[in-house]
Amino acid sequence: MLSDMEERTRWVILVYQLPREPSRHRVAVWRKLKDLGALYLQDGVVALPEDAVTREQLEWLQLRIREAGGEATLWEARPGTVAEEGALVEAFRASREEAYRAIVAETERVRRKAEMGGGVLLEQLGKLEREFRAERRRDYFRSPLRIEAAAALRAARRAVREATGGTEGQGTGSSK
Amino acid sequence: MLWATRRGCHVDRTACVWLIRRFIDPEAAFAFFGDPSEAPDGAELFDVVGARLSHRGEDCSFETFLKEYELEDPVLQEIAEIVHDADLMDEKYGRPESEGLDAIVRGMQLALPDDQTLTGHTDVLYDGLYTYLSREVL
Repeated sequence: MLSDMEERTRWVILVYQLPREPSRHRVAVWRKLKDLGALYLQDGVVALPEDAVTREQLEWLQLRIREAGGEATLWEARPGTVAEEGALVEAFRASREEAYRAIVAETERVRRKAEMGGGVLLEQLGKLEREFRAERRRDYFRSPLRIEAAAALRAARRAVREATGGTEGQGTGSSK
Repeated sequence: MLWATRRGCHVDRTACVWLIRRFIDPEAAFAFFGDPSEAPDGAELFDVVGARLSHRGEDCSFETFLKEYELEDPVLQEIAEIVHDADLMDEKYGRPESEGLDAIVRGMQLALPDDQTLTGHTDVLYDGLYTYLSREVL
């Protein structure tokens, strides 16, 4: 799947180590990396494709690790071969699939409920739309399931709007 | 006074520039550098690793500014929440504005790659946000 990438991706690699205790630092770092959609190459070694955002986020994380008494270095890197890079890209795509699948399944449930005239679905739908946007942000290589999830959400929003006479669905980008 | 930060400003740095001009130093001049070693001598650095005015614990630089300069304006506190969520993407405050702000500033950054020009325009954006939130908060 590298054919569509004329220029090869640059990667940022964070190599880090944190003291075993207190464990909250390790959990916080792990959670932040998960939010960013970073991929663990092995214990304490994570990769992200480089752009202004990923790089900056990892720089701040490096600072946090050091403040927590750990060690962290940040590297720019490229896998030695096109094949290895291809495998890495595929691993990134695969890492998003589960989340997209869960969004699709849950969205279909909301749509079916709406079609059967169920009420109060907007909040659930809004939550799924937020999850989708978060997922899309860390979907660096356009997992094929992204389109499927987007289509499912559009269909569900249409169904919910129709079920509520098209009034309730307006201006509900946020649930606030 | 001369203030300096890294090039390629996004939400946190553009918001800090606005905060400095409007609330801290109306005469402020800004320099934007590629690597911290290129920072001009004597400039006050911000949003740079190791600077006084930078990320601290869970806080983004804008939040650190508010604490360092004891700015207790509730509207600024609200803007800090929005900036935090856009900058750190951790949904700490669950501010829906942060997603829109993130997209707008990211797009402005692509359209206006020069940080002096960019921050001239983002100032207007934060003025607007401040005015809008003032109606709601006060």
